[in-house]
Amino acid sequence: MKRRQYLIGALSLAVAFVVFVIPFIFVFLNAAKTAAESATLDFSWPREWRFWQNLVEVVQARDYMLLLAYFNSTVITVGAIALMVVSGAMVGYLLQRRRTPWNRIIYGFVLAGLIIPPAVVPTIWLLQQIGLFKSITGMIFIQCAYGLGFTVLLYRAFIATIPRDLDEAAIIDGAKPWQVFFKVILPLLKPVTVTVIVVQSITIFNDFTHPLYYLPGAENVTVQLTLYNFQSQFVSQMNLLFMNILLVTVPPLIVFVFFNRQIVAGMTSGAVKG
Amino acid sequence: MARVVLNDIRKSFGAVEVIKGIDLTIEDGEFCVFVGPSGCGKSTLLRIISGLEEQTSGGIEIGGRDVSLAEPAERGIAMVFQSYALYPHLTVRENIGFGLSLARRPKAEIAAAVKKVAETLQLTPLLDRKPKALSGGQRQRVAIGRAIVRDPGVFLFDEPLSNLDAALRAQMRIELTELHAKLGATMIYVTHDQVEAMTMADKIVVLNGGRIEQVGTPMELYEHPATPFVAGFIGSPTMNLYEGKVARQMGCDTYGIRPEHLTLSSDEGRWQGRVRHVERLGADSIVHLDVPDLGPLVARTTGDARIAPGEALWARPQEGREFRYGAV
Amino acid sequence: MNLPTGRQAGSAPSHGRGSTAATQAPAKRRGSPYPYWFVLPAGAIFGIFFLAPTLASFYFALTAWDLFSIRFIGFDNFVQFFREPFLMQGLVNTLLFASITSAAKTVLGLLIAVLLTSGIFAQGLLRSIVFFPVLVSTIGIGLMFAELMHPTEGAINLALAAIGIDGPGWLTNPSLALFSVAMVDIWRGVGLATLIYIAGLSTIAQDYYEAARIDGATRWQQFWRVTVPLVRPATTTVVILSLIGGLRLFDLIWAMTRGGPGFSSDVLASVIYKQYQAGFYGLSTAGNVILFLLIGLIILPLAWWFNRKEVEQ
Ligand SMILES: Nc1ncnc2c1ncn2[C@@H]1O[C@H](COP(=O)(O)OP(=O)(O)OP(=O)(O)O)[C@@H](O)[C@H]1O
Ligand SMILES: [Mg+2]
Repeated sequence: MKRRQYLIGALSLAVAFVVFVIPFIFVFLNAAKTAAESATLDFSWPREWRFWQNLVEVVQARDYMLLLAYFNSTVITVGAIALMVVSGAMVGYLLQRRRTPWNRIIYGFVLAGLIIPPAVVPTIWLLQQIGLFKSITGMIFIQCAYGLGFTVLLYRAFIATIPRDLDEAAIIDGAKPWQVFFKVILPLLKPVTVTVIVVQSITIFNDFTHPLYYLPGAENVTVQLTLYNFQSQFVSQMNLLFMNILLVTVPPLIVFVFFNRQIVAGMTSGAVKG
Repeated sequence: MARVVLNDIRKSFGAVEVIKGIDLTIEDGEFCVFVGPSGCGKSTLLRIISGLEEQTSGGIEIGGRDVSLAEPAERGIAMVFQSYALYPHLTVRENIGFGLSLARRPKAEIAAAVKKVAETLQLTPLLDRKPKALSGGQRQRVAIGRAIVRDPGVFLFDEPLSNLDAALRAQMRIELTELHAKLGATMIYVTHDQVEAMTMADKIVVLNGGRIEQVGTPMELYEHPATPFVAGFIGSPTMNLYEGKVARQMGCDTYGIRPEHLTLSSDEGRWQGRVRHVERLGADSIVHLDVPDLGPLVARTTGDARIAPGEALWARPQEGREFRYGAV
Repeated sequence: MNLPTGRQAGSAPSHGRGSTAATQAPAKRRGSPYPYWFVLPAGAIFGIFFLAPTLASFYFALTAWDLFSIRFIGFDNFVQFFREPFLMQGLVNTLLFASITSAAKTVLGLLIAVLLTSGIFAQGLLRSIVFFPVLVSTIGIGLMFAELMHPTEGAINLALAAIGIDGPGWLTNPSLALFSVAMVDIWRGVGLATLIYIAGLSTIAQDYYEAARIDGATRWQQFWRVTVPLVRPATTTVVILSLIGGLRLFDLIWAMTRGGPGFSSDVLASVIYKQYQAGFYGLSTAGNVILFLLIGLIILPLAWWFNRKEVEQ
């Protein structure tokens, strides 16, 4: 590496540190302060480290609401992704393998799902009609519906790389259509499935808008909603608010460390179609 | 018990008819090879027999049963693909046993069947590997194993050796021929390769543009090609073929003579020409001549023949080896 | 010349002839190995939870609808939307916000991507740092910056004060609030644009640059004549994704300003939420319909235009 490249690199690192890292350090430091000290909001070293106490306090706040929220968010994320993976892969498979005029229509719906924002009030009305408003089940279906477009596109692109000979070999071996899919194709989709799971779990976990509309009420609170609710509760306790922000930031950070490659693949390939 | 009968099979993709009415009987236990130029419909015809492709019209019988509309799995056939199409996520053992496990056969029965097939093909030490960890030849064997375990009446092969190198191809040719002798099943085999066709086939079907050009044993096709197309297609180096005025002078529309049926001499013959190029293959030499009024003429002679480019030579067709099509 | 017919031997056909075959012909035609019912599970979920409400919204937008009653009123909601200044402001703000953030993400994303593919020191680490905010909760980011941008005690203004600048009220000044939120959105989203551009740049063969160098192109010329045209598919993606995201944005605004001060940073999505909270369901839905139409009117022609350009090349 040339000297110049070292220099530019070091300079960029310094800028990136100030712009992107310092805000998080600010949150971290304030999360460790006492309420009084954090109220001034300044960028300083805590005089007294109360990291652990603050953490316990946030978790215990409002009757362990944060734990309930983590539980709810996990259930929604897992449920929606399970549905999305199986049903989305089936559509991606059909779209890729069977070329018919219907494909254009299905493809149109997929793009519509990616582009058009949901019509929230009519959705609430519909959820009320079928008894799924304010329910975790309803939220699972909603998140699945909103993520299907992305999932289908990703699967369709990946299935194009699986030779059709495999389907035909299985057909000759006596596999029914569903067996061809579930026993031969689905197991081969593991790499792209990991990508779908990682990207969608971050999306769903971080989603604030849709739980705000469809999951009002304390018993169905999700992680992002706690943050929003605590904001009004913690006005005098900025340290706890920052601790809460920190706790919400941790899961994506862990996922990022372990699944960097899949995230990058998903974010770019899913994006390539626009 | 697996005679294959095709009755006036036709197939169109959209408006394009690619199989234009094929009638063919392949006897039980026969090794039948489809040859023909690229795009003539060999694969399509094979896929119609397998049931992967549905014919537009016509009927198919396998083993005395009309299977025109039957599912591929119900036809008593097995297929070996050019790409092998091994399931990448399954071990060799599971690949071979896949069809049986779909049919919900007892585990012990599947294990026994897989074991037997593996022994036949010397795959036993590889049974727990994934296809990724196999060489081309080994993959080929697994693909054949997957076919054998179904115990089909008819084996279908679509250019199964084309991904192998020359040495392995020669070896697999012999193995396949032996396998055919051992199993006694009907085999239908698609290839581009003349050597495969000539050495393995009991019966060759020459296809051209979706039609059958000629059916016969390898030697029949070699000795009595019915059309100029077959004449030019079978045999290597290809037959010298002449049309137009030259052919009419010899009393026909198309005149043909194989390179190996020309005798070269320095003082007498029917045509005199100048040697343009000599290909030395060791055992043989292929001599390219330029003959005035005739055009290029290729002749085969012994490997040690002392011939140099530029030399003037005479060529004489051997008695009874000339082909005249459209003779008046 | 005699025509040899197919050899009839092989093995003696002692078994039944084909003539008996027709009697056991199976009747039904075979189905495709790729049956249409494979779309049913996804189709049902998508149809019920996305498509049906979307279609229904076109009706509900034409009603006066609240907790107690629903009444068809034609286009009154839309008329009201364009008449009320605070609703109109939401529409204008949406367009402004989406254009600023998309433009900035596109330009910055490309520049950062070029920098981070030039083989500098700590390139991988830098990519991760720039990208990480994309994965962090938007609400978390919004609250974090709301504190950092506090007019008197926020770290940003304190830092500015230290070098003698009197920082503005980032979120309290009505003419600045929307731009402050836009800056945070750029901060959060530029990592994704960079990532897409890096993917795009990595597909450009090095040959082009070498050829350009041999032709005597300067670095600047290389950037404009080689990089920019060849990275066009990535540009399409970045522009379209940023626009869609910018036009739909709700959570960041809501976490930082709730559309305030006054209505100065309201966008369509926050107007929709406010009208919903106030119980004006019909008006809220009309806002939703306007948002679809806006997105459709902007994205579809743009996608078409980009596609055509790509084909031309
Ligand atoms: N699914 C399809 N749709 C449309 N046309 C097809 C399809 N499959 C094959 N064809 C056409 O049918 C003709 C015959 O194809 P086929 O694959 O049977 O040729 P082939 O003899 O096997 O050639 P090769 O030796 O190159 O494998 C070709 O012209 C091909 O383009
Ligand atoms: Mg073929």
